[in-house]
Amino acid sequence: MAMLEVEHLRKSFGGLTATNDVSFHVNQGEIVSIIGPNGAGKSTVFNLITGVYRPDAGDVRFEGKSIVGKSTNQVVDLGIARTFQNLRLFTNLTVLENVLISQHHRLRSNWLAAVFRTPSYRRQERSMREVATEKLGFFGPRLQSFRLHQPVYVLSYANRRRTEMARAMATGAKLLLLDEPSAGMNPKETSEITQIIRRMRDEGGYTIVLVEHKMNLVGEISDRVVVLDYGEKIAEGEYRSVVNDPKVIEAYLGKKAADDKREELADG
Amino acid sequence: MARIVTPTAFDAIDPAKRIRNVALTLLAVGVGVLVLWLLEGAGSTKLVQALALFAIWGVATVSLNLINGTLGILSLGHHGFMLIGGYTTGLLMLDEAARQRILTSARSTMTEETLALSVSNLLRGVGLDALTTPETLWVRFLIAIFLGGLLAAFAGLLVGTPSLRLRGDYLAIVTFGFGEIIRLTASTRLFSAYTNGALGFPGVTSEFGKSIWWTFGVLAFTVFVISKLKYSSYGRAMQAIREDEIAAQAMGVNVAYHKILGFVISAFFAGVAGGLWVSWLGGVRLDFFLFQLTFFFLVAISAGGTGSITGVLLGTAVVVFVRQYGDPLEENYTIQTWLYIASATLALAAAGAVLFRTLRRLRPRLHWGSWVLLGGAAVAAVVAAVDPAVIEGTFRGFGMRAIFLSVLLIVIMVFRPEGMLGRTEFSWSWLLREQRTGPTDEERTQDAWMSNPAFRSDAGAAASREVEGPSDAAAPDDDEGGR
Ligand SMILES: Nc1ncnc2c1ncn2[C@@H]1O[C@H](COP(=O)(O)OP(=O)(O)OP(=O)(O)O)[C@@H](O)[C@H]1O
Ligand SMILES: [Mg+2]
Repeated sequence: MAMLEVEHLRKSFGGLTATNDVSFHVNQGEIVSIIGPNGAGKSTVFNLITGVYRPDAGDVRFEGKSIVGKSTNQVVDLGIARTFQNLRLFTNLTVLENVLISQHHRLRSNWLAAVFRTPSYRRQERSMREVATEKLGFFGPRLQSFRLHQPVYVLSYANRRRTEMARAMATGAKLLLLDEPSAGMNPKETSEITQIIRRMRDEGGYTIVLVEHKMNLVGEISDRVVVLDYGEKIAEGEYRSVVNDPKVIEAYLGKKAADDKREELADG
Repeated sequence: MARIVTPTAFDAIDPAKRIRNVALTLLAVGVGVLVLWLLEGAGSTKLVQALALFAIWGVATVSLNLINGTLGILSLGHHGFMLIGGYTTGLLMLDEAARQRILTSARSTMTEETLALSVSNLLRGVGLDALTTPETLWVRFLIAIFLGGLLAAFAGLLVGTPSLRLRGDYLAIVTFGFGEIIRLTASTRLFSAYTNGALGFPGVTSEFGKSIWWTFGVLAFTVFVISKLKYSSYGRAMQAIREDEIAAQAMGVNVAYHKILGFVISAFFAGVAGGLWVSWLGGVRLDFFLFQLTFFFLVAISAGGTGSITGVLLGTAVVVFVRQYGDPLEENYTIQTWLYIASATLALAAAGAVLFRTLRRLRPRLHWGSWVLLGGAAVAAVVAAVDPAVIEGTFRGFGMRAIFLSVLLIVIMVFRPEGMLGRTEFSWSWLLREQRTGPTDEERTQDAWMSNPAFRSDAGAAASREVEGPSDAAAPDDDEGGR
């Protein structure tokens, strides 16, 4: 059984149908990319999965159970965490605090126990800090030591993206939805983040759904690619077959390029 | 495998310094207690009263800041919570003589049943007669302020609920409305049997509200609970809500629960502060709980710094000082004196403007506005010096205290918008300048080394390997998703 099953998902905003009858699934341990031109509805799919929006029709099942109608924080409890396309860190708080906050929902002490710092609370606080450094450790030593105590607003853009990914990992989720993790990064940082995403799967055991515009990143790490255009799924499959699909080329480059490709395929 | 660098201890305080800090704290508390004891012995009632008021308002400001500073919700209804706590404590602690007087008074709207409500009767009811003696008054007072806090906390639950749907200004207006509704309904017929309508009642014991020990004891407890809460996982979750509510929820924080929790805890301590406040005043009346009270608290927390509990206390000290020692501001002076004061104020404002422009590196430093201010100052000074007959007479500056505080707040907001202490808590290492504000030079070099992949063998190797892009020529280009 697939870990995440999205079935016939539909969502409109007024007259605009942002997502129309989108279905796909993600198996445990996979890296699946969702690509598509701007405004194709990729982020909307993430928002529908995580309960930010409620779908007009269709179903989202996680580990066999429908999660439609659950609030965003309940979805995190179940094991799905995300990052945001436009960085939503807790800017005035430190790197460490950011990564601790996403573990708060697993705290098993009530607020009085926290005020009086009971032994059980202290133990959990310690293990939360260990988890935080472990997750930040995915990005090498650059978010460790004194960086832990720096407020997020002094970080570079790339480091903020990394902090946000560490924060999502620390929730304890099994499935991570990464919305353009390499946006704003230079080519070197992008190739590094590509390796890190792969290690997140291989070493961290996370299943990953990725929204990306950078095709070499997508091509390098995706097991499967889902292509959206105007809210509809137009293709799905391995990266190489998908990028040769005339429909995909049409969505990205226009009708003429697609016709050329059709001819080329017919010839070959 | 990721090389996990063990962080240089999370709370990087070495044990020797920790012992020193504890010793210094004990010493400071010892000195403080000694000073308070001497002051009380010296019989300086005015100072003792001011100190007690500082502690009482400190309870209110520290608790208000849990909503305003930590949760980041502008709440304007704190005086309403205090009223609930105050009236509860007042009614439950009213002394026997006062009860008799109210009962026989023709204008009173209280009934025999409501006047029978007291902690003593409650304790007698459960057979604890031993606690109704005059020596155990303090036990009854503690019970009363606790019950007052509980009732206020319940109101906090009600006021907190709209915070789940509303945001920003709209929510501020709702909290303000709630505060006023609480005050106005207290005087209506619905509750006048308990509150004695607009009259209120005197005769609440002042033994605790004017005692430094009791007020500072309650303040210490409040600061303990609120600071431990703020610097716990719960406090972090609340600050996350302040920073970005959507992100907090997306990271698993139950936003509704934490908002309500903040409101309830804050309202509880406001209720306790209200109990101490009526005891300090020696009675209960509706106009002890005007919005002005919340205004003073807001000035205190904004001036001191909403990010810092010690900053809030510092701001409270300033506000209480102006309130208690600001009488000279509101006395009768000749118009000549007022003109000198106006002249000095204008000159100070001009100096402030120059300072501001210098700090912000604005040119020219002497803006024409400063010249206008200086000109005004000169004119006022000259007129006062010549003292023409037309300006004879005296003038009394009613409300000067509030104006002074408002001006003070404006000045602080212009020069230091984050408040006097900003986000720093007072601590010994801060006082002794041991606190680190940034990386040391050593760490800087280490950082340069760390973030340069060429120097690293493990992660660097993978990262520096050039990634071959898809060989297919028709592959859509990088970053280029647009149509
Ligand atoms: N809350 C909303 N209200 C109205 N329209 C919305 C809302 N959210 C998204 N949309 C619209 O839905 C469409 C899909 O948006 P979405 O953000 O999912 O695109 P995307 O594929 O993530 O694009 P990008 O690559 O630019 O991030 C867009 O036309 C957008 O304007
Ligand atoms: Mg998007």
